[in-house]
Amino acid sequence: MPTLQLENINKSFGKLEAVKDLSLSVSPGTIYGFLGPNGAGKTTTIRMIMEIILPDSGQILINGTPNTSREMLDRVGYLPEERGVYRKMKVREALEFFAELKGLKKNEHKKRIDGWVERFGMADVQAKKMEELSKGNQQKIQFLTAVLHEPVLIILDEPFMGLDPVNAELIKEVILEQKKRGAAVVFSTHVMESAEKLCDAICLINKGRKILDGEVKQIKRNFGRNSVILAYDGKSDFLKNNGVVERYNDSGNYVEIQLRQGASPQTLLAAAMQHAEIFRFEIVEPSLHEIFITTVKEN
Amino acid sequence: MNKMLTVTRREYLSRVKTKGFIFGTILTPLFLVTMMVLPQALLFLKSDKSKQIAVIDQTGVIMDSLIAALDEKNEAGQRLYNFIKRQSPPEEIEALKNALSAQVDKGELDGYIFIPASIYEGGKADYYAKSVTNFRENGRIAGAVSRAVKEKRIQQSGLNSEEVLQLTRRVNLRTIRIVEGGKEEEDRGRTRMLVWILVAFIYFAVLYYGQMVMRSVIEEKSSRVIESVISSIKPFQLMAGKIFGVGAVGLTQYSIWALVFGFLSFNSGKLAGLFSSRFSNAAQFTMPTIAPETLVFFLVFFVSGYFLFAALYAGLGAMVNSDEEAQQLVFPLVMLVIIPFLCTFFIIGSPNSRLSIVLSLIPFFAPITMFARIAVQMPPMWQVAVCLVLLAATILGVIWVVGRIYRVGVLMYGKRPSLPELIKWIKYA
Repeated sequence: MPTLQLENINKSFGKLEAVKDLSLSVSPGTIYGFLGPNGAGKTTTIRMIMEIILPDSGQILINGTPNTSREMLDRVGYLPEERGVYRKMKVREALEFFAELKGLKKNEHKKRIDGWVERFGMADVQAKKMEELSKGNQQKIQFLTAVLHEPVLIILDEPFMGLDPVNAELIKEVILEQKKRGAAVVFSTHVMESAEKLCDAICLINKGRKILDGEVKQIKRNFGRNSVILAYDGKSDFLKNNGVVERYNDSGNYVEIQLRQGASPQTLLAAAMQHAEIFRFEIVEPSLHEIFITTVKEN
Repeated sequence: MNKMLTVTRREYLSRVKTKGFIFGTILTPLFLVTMMVLPQALLFLKSDKSKQIAVIDQTGVIMDSLIAALDEKNEAGQRLYNFIKRQSPPEEIEALKNALSAQVDKGELDGYIFIPASIYEGGKADYYAKSVTNFRENGRIAGAVSRAVKEKRIQQSGLNSEEVLQLTRRVNLRTIRIVEGGKEEEDRGRTRMLVWILVAFIYFAVLYYGQMVMRSVIEEKSSRVIESVISSIKPFQLMAGKIFGVGAVGLTQYSIWALVFGFLSFNSGKLAGLFSSRFSNAAQFTMPTIAPETLVFFLVFFVSGYFLFAALYAGLGAMVNSDEEAQQLVFPLVMLVIIPFLCTFFIIGSPNSRLSIVLSLIPFFAPITMFARIAVQMPPMWQVAVCLVLLAATILGVIWVVGRIYRVGVLMYGKRPSLPELIKWIKYA
């Protein structure tokens, strides 16, 4: 049974169709990337999953039960995009408050909170007020409130935004652990690099409609191996006007090339050899970044 | 239910633990007691020093009565007023007055009294002093002079002054309030005062704690923490938890104050004794007693008034983005509290007039107006019953509407909703 299932979700705000006929399914123990440009409807969808706003039509199931059941929602963890905290509240009290809102009893959450703050290196700031923490530390505390109650489904809206590399790595580590524990992790982002490394499956939406979804491996395979990485020394004239290059991203002596549909990589190689010295020529799977840009443009 | 209590606890503890609450709770009664006690205490402390007052008595006989009339002594056994006799021929009277004025100015004298020979025929006595704003003292001196002159006038007319004074004794008018069952109860404006105090309690509680609920809603909204919270608890539970939590803060604060005042009024004698032994005899602090049914209705209207307005304030908080924006909108709501409060002037005066009855049946006014009527004189039972039914229905209606506005409003940022939008929010299921 999928941990999260959306069936034909529709949501309009006045004349704006924020989400249109969206269906998707997330299995337990997977990390699911919810991708899309700004304003695609990601946050609206997430808010509907959390029953903060209600869909106009369609159904949302968590472990097979409609999300209108509050008991089910207590088994979901949520890091909203809006990073709001109770500024005057002490760190420890805030953690306990949210743990209790998720239905944990005092004797249940004490040990867990002790363990987590220790691991996050925040044991000594527990008596401080939230507003005294840095933005990054506030975000770590908020992230903790999303995983503290060991939910079956964890929804993270842009979890890496604003974190330094060390903390981003820490969060990534925890996300992978949660996956191993069997939780389904859905995170939305428009930073493709982090999605590419972490996600088992993705859903790409644009203007409220799903334009692509499935396992990352499968998507890449379907997209075809028409990307080329090329390292060279010399002039880059060969990239232009040769009839095979759709798009490229030139870094001076390293270039990622997207070939036209049906074009042969060999033609490109021949053209390149006439103008420059070639160190590396590799036909690769497209990056999610490529897929994202290509698909969004096509739609 | 448990979640609502979690919210209630957070709202309660996060307020009760602040320095502002602790100081406010301790300082308010301290401030009020000081305001009540200090002026009188100062008066007595000051007057403990005996005063040197010169008397120019052109009649030659008034002064002795004056000395007899103002014979109070301070703790050290000294007379409070020492009268010094000064005399001069009539033609040099102005020179003497000037000399005495100079002495008063230098502080050698506290004042002087001039009693002209024409005093029996309606002439006026003069009291000169550096400070003439102590009404209590002015009153005493005027009373003593007046009594002395009257006595002499009566003696001169050949009547028995004792008898005349007895016959012309001032008549005091007692006001007696008839309460239910025909029982009588002496009333010296105390009821009026007490009604005022109790009505003011409701008034301040509704405004102060109502706004506290509103600020709490706005804080969650403007800090954007609301989204985390609302994903774990239903908006209605959150709102209810908030109203209960802030209400508990109010009850705590008022209970502490009630205990403090209760303690003070039972020990008022001792308290006053700290200032002056004479003061304790004055027994200024007899607390009027409150009828038990008045107290019960006080609680009923206090609590229902709080719920009604806390819900309205919560709805208002959900509609706006910041405290500043709220201040622009809060005015009509404040008027709903101020109007009935001002009406109590009239209601206490004529609790059973048609206007008072109408005012006390309007649900938004009732917590103040109906309670004021009940405290002055118990209205017919059917009126109280109609009022309570209307009030309860209004509270439920307001909570239903506000709950819906709240649910949508707390997640809306940006432009304030127009009336049609608000109606859409309410319809939005």
